[in-house]
Order: sequence, then structure tokens, then C-alpha cells
Amino acid sequence: MAKRKSDFKLKNYVCYILVAVMFLYALVLQMMGKLPKSTSNLFVQIAYSIILAVSLNLVVGFLGELSLGHAGFMCVGAYLGSYIAIALTSHIESKLLVLLISMLCGGLAAAFFGFVVGLPALRLKGDYLAIVTLAFGEIVRTVCKNLPFFGGAMGLSTVAIKYDTRSSTSLYIVAFITVFVVLFLIQNLVRSKHGRAITAIRDNEIAARAMGINVTFYKLFVFVFAAFCAGVAGVIFGHFNTPVLYSKFSFNYSIEILVMVVLGGMASINGSIIAAALITYVNIALQAKLTGDLAALKYLIYALILIVLVIFNNAPRLAPIKEALSPKNLFGRLKKRRPGDVSDDAGEWANIPTKIRMDEILSTDVRPGNEFVPDKEKKAPVKGGPNDG
Amino acid sequence: MKKITKLLAVVLCFALIAAFAACAGKTNNESTAPDASDGASTPDATVNIGDFDFTKTGEFTAENTKFVLGATGPLTGDASSYGISVQKGATLAVEEINAKGGVNGKEIEFVMLDDEADATKAGNAYDQLFEQGMQISLGSVTSGSCEQFASRTAEDGVFAITPSASAANVIAASDTMFRICFGDPDQGVLAAEELTKNYSNIGAIYDNSDPYSSGIYDAFKAKMAELGTEYTEQTFDKENNKDFSTQVEALKDCDVIFMPIYYTQAGLIAKACQAKGVNAVLYGCDGFDGIKGQLEGADVSNKIMYITPFDAAAEDEKTKAFVDAFGGKYDGEIPDQFAADAYDAVYVLATAMEQIGVDNVTVAPDAIGEALVATLTSSSFQYTGVTGGMTWDSTGACTKVPVVVELN
Amino acid sequence: MSVLFDGLSLGAIYAMIALGYTMVYGIAKMLNFAHGDIIMVGAYAIYTTMVFWGKGLWVAVIGAAVLCTLMGILMEKLAYKPLRGASPLAVLITAIGVSYLLQSLAQLIFGVTPRPVNLGSFGSVEILGASIPVSTVLTLVIGAVLMAGLTLFVNKTNTGRAMQAVSEDRGAAQLMGVNVNFIIMITFAIGSALAAAASVFYLMQIPLVEPLLGSMPGIKAFTAAVIGGIGSIPGAMIGGVMLGVIEKICLSIDAIKDYTTAIEFGLLILILLVRPIGLLGKKRREKV
Repeated sequence: MAKRKSDFKLKNYVCYILVAVMFLYALVLQMMGKLPKSTSNLFVQIAYSIILAVSLNLVVGFLGELSLGHAGFMCVGAYLGSYIAIALTSHIESKLLVLLISMLCGGLAAAFFGFVVGLPALRLKGDYLAIVTLAFGEIVRTVCKNLPFFGGAMGLSTVAIKYDTRSSTSLYIVAFITVFVVLFLIQNLVRSKHGRAITAIRDNEIAARAMGINVTFYKLFVFVFAAFCAGVAGVIFGHFNTPVLYSKFSFNYSIEILVMVVLGGMASINGSIIAAALITYVNIALQAKLTGDLAALKYLIYALILIVLVIFNNAPRLAPIKEALSPKNLFGRLKKRRPGDVSDDAGEWANIPTKIRMDEILSTDVRPGNEFVPDKEKKAPVKGGPNDG
Repeated sequence: MKKITKLLAVVLCFALIAAFAACAGKTNNESTAPDASDGASTPDATVNIGDFDFTKTGEFTAENTKFVLGATGPLTGDASSYGISVQKGATLAVEEINAKGGVNGKEIEFVMLDDEADATKAGNAYDQLFEQGMQISLGSVTSGSCEQFASRTAEDGVFAITPSASAANVIAASDTMFRICFGDPDQGVLAAEELTKNYSNIGAIYDNSDPYSSGIYDAFKAKMAELGTEYTEQTFDKENNKDFSTQVEALKDCDVIFMPIYYTQAGLIAKACQAKGVNAVLYGCDGFDGIKGQLEGADVSNKIMYITPFDAAAEDEKTKAFVDAFGGKYDGEIPDQFAADAYDAVYVLATAMEQIGVDNVTVAPDAIGEALVATLTSSSFQYTGVTGGMTWDSTGACTKVPVVVELN
Repeated sequence: MSVLFDGLSLGAIYAMIALGYTMVYGIAKMLNFAHGDIIMVGAYAIYTTMVFWGKGLWVAVIGAAVLCTLMGILMEKLAYKPLRGASPLAVLITAIGVSYLLQSLAQLIFGVTPRPVNLGSFGSVEILGASIPVSTVLTLVIGAVLMAGLTLFVNKTNTGRAMQAVSEDRGAAQLMGVNVNFIIMITFAIGSALAAAASVFYLMQIPLVEPLLGSMPGIKAFTAAVIGGIGSIPGAMIGGVMLGVIEKICLSIDAIKDYTTAIEFGLLILILLVRPIGLLGKKRREKV
């Protein structure tokens, strides 16, 4: 038992603590009767943003594929979950039960679409996959907009199921409990052997396949799981917000979630939580401050976050600077690294140039008739290149 | 390791559930108090001022030194021109009222926050306004935002009268949500009647991604079916279709095209008509206000008509005074119907507040809200402003007479 | 018949944009998300020269071309060059960032309100009994000329052949003495100049400038480039025209017109699944 105790690392529980601090802050305020509506509403938004950011991080940070349709999955959850909740609300008295059922339904519906999108994802990667998810998001939006029972262009009015922030079951409590559940699932997934399989696929798919990892299964699983989470977030959104309007779930919203992931750090769950809370808060705080065309400053900052952070973390030339500035080097002497420690911190997902050579060798399958022969029209340029004559 | 994780999870869950239950019990008791006081008011023919208690102070209004009038609207983003117009119109009205000594001797403070025409942001803006002591409100400018705003006013009993959110869902979401603009359906019905009477070959084009446009069109469609009039229908989606050649081609034989859309797209369609040599009359709704600016320099020959509550070129004294004052304040700008409706909305609020005689600037929002609802829905209340004479029913809908403006 | 011609004129714009996409994707091997926004920059350049400074169309076109080319080079140097050799994911996210940057800058400078701009009237001609705006004919003819010119450039000049070499195998090209950085810069310059051309034809048909002008046509043009076979210059042309015609045909059929966007993107997914290399694309060995 004593030996086991030594395995306990506070580091693994930081994410729960982060969320618990926010949650307890709100709870204590509420018990003192001093929780303003703006704060409880802020926490609901933070909660579903965290779910979105963490689940997108699973796809982008851990699996290493870019999904630009996360808002699309949320859209499915929000529309369908709210629709079901509205239908149920006249039959079931307990609002909480209605919310839980609709969360499950909305999540499952989104997961189904995750499966549908995930299937092509198995054949595509990189830019193509990103474009397919983007296209999916647009398709979902167009379809939801045109379905008459979803309210068409007016949106689905959710006044009937909307949570009154003064009533007993404040939505933020349910939302935060959902965050805990999602975090628990994701943390355990990531730290399990399945999580290591997922990161192995990200780092080198061919090597992972060679090690006997079922790449197909894991890719699909991550897609479906992330979609499920986004769907659940969508249902919370639907109970918080009226009307559920297709225009909310545009490409821009997917990018906003992506900004949270990039700001928090790829494959860093703690980072995603902090970034989601920060960006949600800053958005609301800036809303009153930046009006007129100045509001574009916010998007300018998002853009700069994306560009600067990604370049800083990935540019091969900046690697030494980054290494020098990393916390490990700055505070490294404070703690000893144990052998076998596997770090999953931000930045390390960028591949190392030497790997590419290995991959290319592995991927070139030489069979009769399949040797590397430049195409006919390609032959000329190779011979007559600028430095040949 | 695994056991610890599991144990921790279980403990955490229990802690949460306990907290949740404790909290639920607590707030339950608390919330009964305000609930009891804000019963739905029933419209009455005679409003007795003595029925209302204006001494009650709201949670956030204790430090008010003026009546706080709140509103949200798109001050940024695609729809910002509407929000900015409302802001200008309402600011002008508030300044005029304060210059004349305010309402019952007390001034009004107007606060408008940006919501980017996004419902979530309208909700956040509502929270901020409410906590800044908002007592009366102009709601939101766009329909989606205003539905969110209305659902919040229903919680707090804040009275709101929107200058421009015309969708039917908006006033349905709250008992204290009123509007001063036409409802979407009203314009559709009116257009269907007018067009059936005056034209034989009718076409219609609307934006199926826009609540305003779809709302008017749905009513138009229903009325046309009722009247038994045949017409050609076309749609577009403002995000994806900016090239209207196909739609205009399909409508090229029409004498008149009904276009319940905003002026930016209307300008593009007018230009597409010109390119295709289509000479139909373009018949729009109040969203057409502003189309002149879109057509400057383009030789569009189509006759353009639109339904609007407000004609800046009208000769009556109220309109002239308003247009002059507006131009004087904003560098000669000519007000559109958004500004006019906002201007009227502020005056309606001021008039009603004078009638109920409220002079306590720290009055609780639900107390003044209840009184305002009773006043506006009473059969004796009516107001004539720059957008004509108007009365309200218990749903919060406004009845007023539209004018049809012609451009050549 | 008329639907077909309307589709052609829309498709011609998509084709123009897709040409730039396909050039950059084919050679630099990256999806330049900001390509659509370069068109927006071109459109604002035209707007500023014509409406603010009152200059003629030709001055505006040349101004737009110069500005877009410079923007393209700047964008490549500042945002993409540092990431040479990094993972495709990082490059893609940066490209999205650049796209956002351009959009928000345009919004800060010009405001979000759409502004009408008139390039003048060009009249229309009768072909096969249908009247077609001259701008459509111009777009198609100039598009075809540019396509032919690009094909010649890539196949016959030294720089063009160096481009092919970089496209084929960047490492090997470098070993052969090709200045890869220079070639990729040239590619971006050409791609952005094409975007400037596209912005002119875009404004001829849709006389309205706004900060988000380029994003949707950009994505649709990428769809067109994929349908035609990404990296293939004639493929982009054919894909663009096809997509324009499909869009207009869908819009003219009552039962499906509301779902046009869904159908276009559905087509993209279908093509990627069935024939990822597109209609005219060349089969490549997949390198991980």
C-alpha cells in the first residue's frame, strides 16, 4: 500500500482542482445568497466551453488531427437535445431528469454524427480531414436551418425548458458536475494504455500500426467521443440560451474553440480548462468595453494568439529558445525527474525532422511496377533544372 | 493508484451531490419571496395608480440617481447599422426628455450594450444591465437576441419595449415584453393584400437564413394561399448567395417582386435586375430603409416601393421636428425607421411613466414593470409619435398604420 | 439554358480563386486558408482607389495586384516560412490565424458595414439566344488565358520547372540546387496576384465589399480545386466552373434549393471519399 501511495501525483489531479475551485467559489457565493445572475451565467458558459475545449483537445492535441467542425457537433446536440427536452418537459416533472435524458440523447446523436464523419476520417488526414469536418459543420447548419420542426430561420425557441437562474436547480451546478464527469472520463482515457495508443498514432501512425495498435478503432473512437462531449455541451447550451439558432454554430465558433485549445497548449487538459475559462470571461468582459468596429480587436487578438503561439511552439528554428524558456529548464533543478516519466506537455507533439526520413522509407512500398519512376512530364524538369545547364 | 483514483472520484461525487442538495434546498426557500410579489398582471380598462407600490427598492437599484433605461443591440458585426440607428434615436429622445426636466422631475440614464446580434451575448449584456440597476428597457434590436432578453425579463419582471425585434416569439417569451414595430406577420399579410389587389404577375424572394425575412414571408405565403393568389417563389441565403442571377432570372416575367429582406441584399438584387433587364416593381418591407445608399451610382430603373412605419420625407410637424433634431445632433444624418421607432419607444415609456406618476428612481424593476404593463394595455392608453398613432394589446403587440414609400 | 450561363459566370469566379489555391497547395503543400482573404484585400484596394481616390478601373486593378502580391509575400515570410518543416497541423492552424488576422484588420480599418462599389456597366452579349453579361465572358476568357499562361510558365520556364521539382520532392530539389524558399515565395506571389485578378471579377458580378467577402468563396473555391484535382491547373478551372454550374442548377430546382450549400459540401466529401485525387489529379504516393 505504501508503495502505491508513492504513485500519487498531485499533477494528475490539477484539472479537477482547477474546476473545483471555480465551482466552490460559485457555490459558496450562492450559499451566502450573494451569487449574482451574471456570475452564475458566466459559470454555465465557462462550463460548456471547458467541455468543448477539452474534447477538441482530445482530437487536435492527442490524436493530432484538426477538426474544424466541433461547433457542428455542438449544433446537433443543441438542436436535438433541446427538441427532446421540450417534448419531454410536459411528461416528466423533474427538470433535472429531463436535462439528463436530453443530455444523453443529444450526446448520442452527436456521437452518431461523429461516427459518420469519423469514417471518412480514416481515409483522410491533415488538410483534407480538416476540410471535411469544416464541410460537415456547414452541412449540419444548413440542414438544421431548413428543418421546419427546428424552427427554421427563427431558431428553436427553448423558453419552455430554459433554466431560470433564480430557481432551485441552477444550471451551473449541473453543468459543473457534467464537466467533472467529462474530465474524469478524458483523464482516465488519456492516462490509460488507450491514451498512449492515441498519442502513439499522433507521433507516428505507421510505427503505431506496426506495434499492433488498431489505428482505425482509436481514430474513430476519439472522434465519436469528442463529438459526444460536444453534443452534451450543446444540450447545456440549449437549456441556457434561447433560441437555439443555427448561426451560432458557424465556422467562427469552431475556431474560437480551437483558439482555446491552442492557447491552453496542445495535449494539455489543464491548459484547455484555464484557456476556456479565460477566453469566455474575457469575451464577456470585453463585450461592454469594445464597441463599434473596435470589437474586431478581439478577433485580431485571437488571430495573433493562433499565429504567434503555433509558430513559437513549432518553428524548428525557435526550438532552442523554446527549450531555454521551458519551465523544465527554468525550474528544472527544483525537482528530480524520475526515469520513465512520460511528459505530455504542450509543444512536444511537433514532429522531429529526422522522423520524416524514416517514415518515407517505411511508406515506399517497392513492388514490381511500383518502383519510384518520375512521371513522363516530370522527367524533363528534373533533368533540365535551373542548375543543370 | 487506480483505487485512489476511484475513491477520489466517488468522494468527489458525493461531495458534489451533497453540495447540490444543500444548495437546492437553500435557494428554494429564498426564491419564494420574490415569486409571490410578481404575479402576472391582468389588463384592465381602468388603471388605478394607487394599486402600485413604487416605494419598493430593487436588489441593484438602491444607488440609482436616475431611472436606468437599458438596451442591447448589435453595435458591431453584420447587423451593426440597425443597432447604431436605435442607439442614436434613443439617445436623442432621452436627451430631449432630460432637457425638459425628465420624467416626473427625474432624469433618465440610457445604457446600451453590444450583443453582436448573438443571443448568448444578449443574455450576458442583460445581466450586466440588470446589475447596473436597469429598471426599464428597450429590449434588443434583433429578434434572436430579443427572445433571449425577453426570457430574462420574464424572470425579473423588467418592462421592455423593443423598437425593432419583430418576430412573434419575442413578445410571446415574456409578459413584460412589448414592441413598437410591426410584427413580422403584419407586414406579410398587408403586402399579400396590396399585391393581390394591384398586380397580376407576382414574384417573391426572401432570405431563408434570416428570422426577420422568413417571418414576414411565412405570413405572406399563408395569406396568399388564403387569397388564392398564384406567385413565383425564390429564396437565398445571405451567407452563401451573393450572386442573384438565378433568382432574378426565375422572376423575370413578374410585374412586381415582393422582397421582405434587408437593404444590402435588396441593393444587390436591384443591380442583378438591371443587369438582366428585369423591370418589375421591387416591393419591400421596413428593412428596405437605407436602400438608396446602396444604389448610388448604379443606373437601376426599377420602381422601388416599401412598407415602413416612418417616412423621413413626410410633411407632418412631428416628423419634421424629429428629422431636424436628428440631423442637428448627428451631422445632418437622416433617421431611418430603426431610429424613429427607438425614439418613439423612449417617448412611450416616458409618457406611461408620467401617467403612473412614478418618481422614485430606486424603484424595483418588477414594481414599475407591473404598472407599465397595466398602463400600456389599458384601453385608454395610446401614443402618437413620428411613426404614427399606436395602441397595444395584452400580448405586447403594437397596432399602427404603415405607410408605403416610393423611390424611383 | 440561362441557368447554365449564370452557373458559368459564378463558376468562372470560383475557377479564378481555385487557380491560386491549387498553385499554392500543389507546390508549397499547404492549404492557404487566407487565400480567400487576399481576395478581400484586393477588393478593398479596388474600393479605396476607385471610391476614395476617384481613380479609374485600370489604376485600381494594378494597385490591387501589387498590394495582393506584396501581401502574399509578406504573409509567406512572416507566418509560413518559420514553420517550414513543422507538422502540417501547425501550418494549417497558422493559416487560419492569418485568415482571421486579415479579416479583423479589414474590419478595424474599413468597418464591418458592406459598401457598394461600381466598376461600371459592361452591357451584355447575345450567345445562343441567351443574353450574357460581358463580365462573364471576360472572366471566362481571362481565366482561360491565365490558366494557359500558368501551364506554360510551369512547364516551360526554369522557375516553373523548379516549382515542379519542389512540388515533387522538396529535399531532392534542394540538393539539386533549387532555392526552395525563393520558389515558394514566387508561388505565393503568383497565387496572390491571381487572387487580385479574382477580386476584380468578383466585384464585377457582386458589387459589394465587406470584411468577410473572401471566406465563403474561398472555401467553395477550395472545394472546386479538390473536385478538379488539387495541384492540377486545368483541374482547378474545370472544378470551379463545375461547382458554379452545380450551385446554380441546385438553386433553380425548387425541391432542393434550400439545401444548395449542403449539397456542394456533400459533393466535396463524396469526392474525397471516392476519388481523393479529384478529376484530373495525379496519383501520389502517400507520405506520412
